[in-house]
Amino acid sequence: MQQLVASESPRLAPTIADLERQFAVQPPAVVAARGLTRTYGKGDATVHALRDVDVDIAEGRLTAVMGPSGSGKSTLMHILAGLDRPDGGQVTIAGTEITQLKEKKLTQLRRDKIGFIFQSFNLLATLTADENIVLPLSLARRRADEAWRRGVIEAVGLTDRLTHRPAELSGGQQQRVAVARALINRPAVLFADEPTGNLDSRTGGEVLNLLRRSVDEFGQTVIMVTHDAGAASIADRVVFLKDGRIVQDRQRMTRDEIYDTIKNLEDRPARDGEGSPR
Amino acid sequence: MTRLAFRSLLSRPLRTVLTVLAILLGVAMITGTYVLTDQIDQGFANIFETSFKGTAVIVEPKASFTDIENMEPQPMDAGLVGTVAGVPGVSKAAGVYDTTGAAIVNGETVQTGGAPTLLSADPGEPFDQGRIVEGREARARDEVTIIKSFADEAGLQPGDSFAVAAPAGLFQVKVVGVFEWGDSGSLGGTIVVAGRLQDVQRWAGHPGTVTAIDVAATPGVAPDELAARVRETLPATLSVKTGKQAAADATAQTADAIGSFLTPVLLAFAGVAVFVGAFIIFNAFNITVAQRNREFAMLRALGASRRQVLVSVVAEALTLGVIASGVGIVAGLGVAKGINTLFKAVGADIPTSGIVLAPRTILIAVLVGVGVTLLSALAPALRATRVPPVAALQEGAALPPTRFARFTTAIAAAIAALGGGSLAWGMLSDGGANGRMLFMGLGALLLFVAIAMLAKYVVKPAARVIGWPLQKLAPISGRLARDNAGRNPSRTAATAAALMIGLAMVVFVAVFAQGLKGSFSGAITDSTRADLVAQDRSAFLTVPQKTVAELRDVPGVEAAAGVAWAHVDVKQSGLSAINGIDPETWAAVWAFRWKRGGSDALLAQLDGEHVLLEDESPAAKRFDAGDTITITAQNGGTAKLTVLGFYRDQMAFTGMVTSLDAFRGLGIPAASGITLVRTAADADGTATQAAVQKALAGFPTQEVMTRTEYLDSINAQVDQILTMFYGLLAMSVVISIFGIINTLVLSVHERTRELGMLRAIGATRRQLRQMVRYESVITAVIGGVLGTAVGIAFAYVVVTQLGDGLEFLVPWMQLGVFLALAVVVGVVAAVLPARRAAGTRILQAIQYE
Repeated sequence: MQQLVASESPRLAPTIADLERQFAVQPPAVVAARGLTRTYGKGDATVHALRDVDVDIAEGRLTAVMGPSGSGKSTLMHILAGLDRPDGGQVTIAGTEITQLKEKKLTQLRRDKIGFIFQSFNLLATLTADENIVLPLSLARRRADEAWRRGVIEAVGLTDRLTHRPAELSGGQQQRVAVARALINRPAVLFADEPTGNLDSRTGGEVLNLLRRSVDEFGQTVIMVTHDAGAASIADRVVFLKDGRIVQDRQRMTRDEIYDTIKNLEDRPARDGEGSPR
Repeated sequence: MTRLAFRSLLSRPLRTVLTVLAILLGVAMITGTYVLTDQIDQGFANIFETSFKGTAVIVEPKASFTDIENMEPQPMDAGLVGTVAGVPGVSKAAGVYDTTGAAIVNGETVQTGGAPTLLSADPGEPFDQGRIVEGREARARDEVTIIKSFADEAGLQPGDSFAVAAPAGLFQVKVVGVFEWGDSGSLGGTIVVAGRLQDVQRWAGHPGTVTAIDVAATPGVAPDELAARVRETLPATLSVKTGKQAAADATAQTADAIGSFLTPVLLAFAGVAVFVGAFIIFNAFNITVAQRNREFAMLRALGASRRQVLVSVVAEALTLGVIASGVGIVAGLGVAKGINTLFKAVGADIPTSGIVLAPRTILIAVLVGVGVTLLSALAPALRATRVPPVAALQEGAALPPTRFARFTTAIAAAIAALGGGSLAWGMLSDGGANGRMLFMGLGALLLFVAIAMLAKYVVKPAARVIGWPLQKLAPISGRLARDNAGRNPSRTAATAAALMIGLAMVVFVAVFAQGLKGSFSGAITDSTRADLVAQDRSAFLTVPQKTVAELRDVPGVEAAAGVAWAHVDVKQSGLSAINGIDPETWAAVWAFRWKRGGSDALLAQLDGEHVLLEDESPAAKRFDAGDTITITAQNGGTAKLTVLGFYRDQMAFTGMVTSLDAFRGLGIPAASGITLVRTAADADGTATQAAVQKALAGFPTQEVMTRTEYLDSINAQVDQILTMFYGLLAMSVVISIFGIINTLVLSVHERTRELGMLRAIGATRRQLRQMVRYESVITAVIGGVLGTAVGIAFAYVVVTQLGDGLEFLVPWMQLGVFLALAVVVGVVAAVLPARRAAGTRILQAIQYE
């Protein structure tokens, strides 16, 4: 029943999420990681960025990854997105085990199954907004599905800005272009790395709203790494990392709950002798 | 701050190496030029020193002028040898005879790579510098000894026979000995065949004469003293010198010839290379200064003065310049060898000594290397000082535009005007050839700078046009490449300009050569009524007029005419070529383009006292019909000739034309250097050609060619020179490749984050490589198109304005090849930067601040 409702009416998704929470039913995991470890450096300078991390990211959910600097949250995202390889463990994205993939296959996977939003927008200065949006498709030499493209552009509110170049757009508009770019290939999962880090609170809010709507309206799976408790409060689930381990994993939290959790994490000393890289 | 400069060089090793290479190659060419010409000078000096080693005093006929195109010695009466031998203090006087010819072994003329085949009388001890290493010296009629290099090459041994083609005809000779010559200095590809005096005289057709008298002194008599005594007893028409003086004079004469032709030509090519290098230095510094913007701002914020920033950049340039000069000098030794190999490849085997690295060479190389680097880096360095301290705090602050940015167009126009003026002055003024060339070169240089400055305006549209087919090939890579090429137009323009200069020179040379070939073909085709041409195309031996006359009896031949050729000094007008013809047969083989109302009727009046002037020759500008001109031959003979009329011919018979009788009157050889044969209308062309060749069997070096074959051989000669020029210009093109590599590497570095993002969102490595390659191709093609256009324009101006009867012809096919070459340059230059772009580490790139 759940699948039936979800596919027929994505707008009901929050309700379904509530139901799921109530009945502890998990939707299928689109990203699954098992036993991820990642260390940098050698000898005394060894930094354990990830220590045996297991995580499943549910389809059609917005998952926030939080943690203090050096907690391993960025490393986790990079590994989940196939930008970095773990020293141990497996990652499956939409049914594909990616840690052993050849470079070429991995690139294809990123192009076809993954969307990215970066802190610093990273648009191509020479392309128009529209060209930037369809860039992943251009790279794949595919044409955009017109209806989808129009829908995405409408959703990010850039219909009248399509011929502008990044330099002619505000920061918020640029990040909205980046969101549209990330959505254009209907990725299995969208990774957002501090998407509001370079924006003021109002435009940051707009972008977060956009991410939320992409989950609610398009059933998009989103993984967002953030420092910002406000940003994380829109998530369906918040995963906290510290010293390379998941230390908290909770459904829907308010901003205050998140603040408290962070505060607790920062106060609590590291569990073993090896310090965080901070 | 200077330490910062070194740090900066070390932190960008690739850029440092590429910029050093850019300037190094130019320096190497300059060094190579001086080293090679010094080696040649020294090579000749060694030869002359050796030749005159045993000679205290030498007596020669005085030449009335120096003719570097005809070094054939003048003969004098052999009776003078006895006179000289009778002078007190002379222990021995030997008459010698030197002439040139060709060696024919097994029916084949031995090719010498442009070097002469000397037929020489053996003067005996103590004058002879040959050491017999096999066999003995020549004792009987037509016995010869030969130089070892020739014996080895031709596989000749004592007892073997071969033939020498000499001025007086063909002579069978027998090898009785092989000698090695001197102990220092090579003779290049020169063949020496030595025989008895009377034999060589006979071969030359001048029995009873000698070309020089070698004199040895009795012990205790100083050469100077002896020379004075000999001089007193001889007529003033003879020159008497000490051996030392003669060696010095001969050395100076060749050095002069090399210094007035070879050195400036090679330096011009080296100059182009240095100029191209300067563009690359400028560009490299401009880019790194822009990239180090934040760093400079930070330094300024920390209290560094503008002067200190300037010093740090200039110190960087200075270091580069010093390294480039140092390595360039060493590389120059290789370049000298390379150019010499190139000469040999196109058939010029020049004697050289071992490596000669004069202090002058080092000084010039260092001055140019360091000077050009500093000069090129100055503008970027000044720009660096203008970075405001506050830029340290701003994200992605751009460099302030230079104060002159607004006036770029005006400045470029001013430079262009100056360049155009200089070019015009060089072409139209009456100064010496070297001075004019210098002005023309300076003009071209300024025009190049102006074009490079303005080129940034065409970069964007050009990138769009050139990128279009690439975009069809690979839509996204093509599109991004196009955008990237147009992103920083000044940078792309400066990079393309470097290639433009090299290619413009290549195109200029190609168009010029095409004009030369076309004009010559046109002139010959229009004027000649002959079907066959006989000429010795390597040793330029002649055929007696008597033999030419006999050709008229060959079946199928309707008319034959031989042309004699010499240089004469025209009073009040200077050195001129003079052609001797037989007026009676001339009209049958050649149609003059008459000027000032002349016609073939004038030929009837052409005799030993009349002359026809080429309409554009200096003499034609000074003298009119009816005037009398006084000419002096190299042997001192003079004649007064009355001007009959004027014809136009700046290709085949330049200077003036007179009757063969005038040649005889002057006492200069009237034999035919080029023989024109007209076949009968009903004759079989091939059979007649064979018959004429057979009739000239006594002159085996004469090649009987159809008109087409003759033109082909001329064209082949032009093509050889062209090949050499292309070889010399290749260096400039190579330097511009380094420039493109450098710009791309720096741009790729600058776009690291962007490249990382592209990789993150799914661009393949191949796509990134393609993108960089296309950008490179676009840049190179912009340079190629600009270069082609500029080259054609320069050639047009020079060909039409300089005159000399050249036609303006464009070799379209070749230009197509050059443009294809530009694409290749782009692809080659992209290899390394593309690999770097493809190797961008995504994580580092997107976290890169």
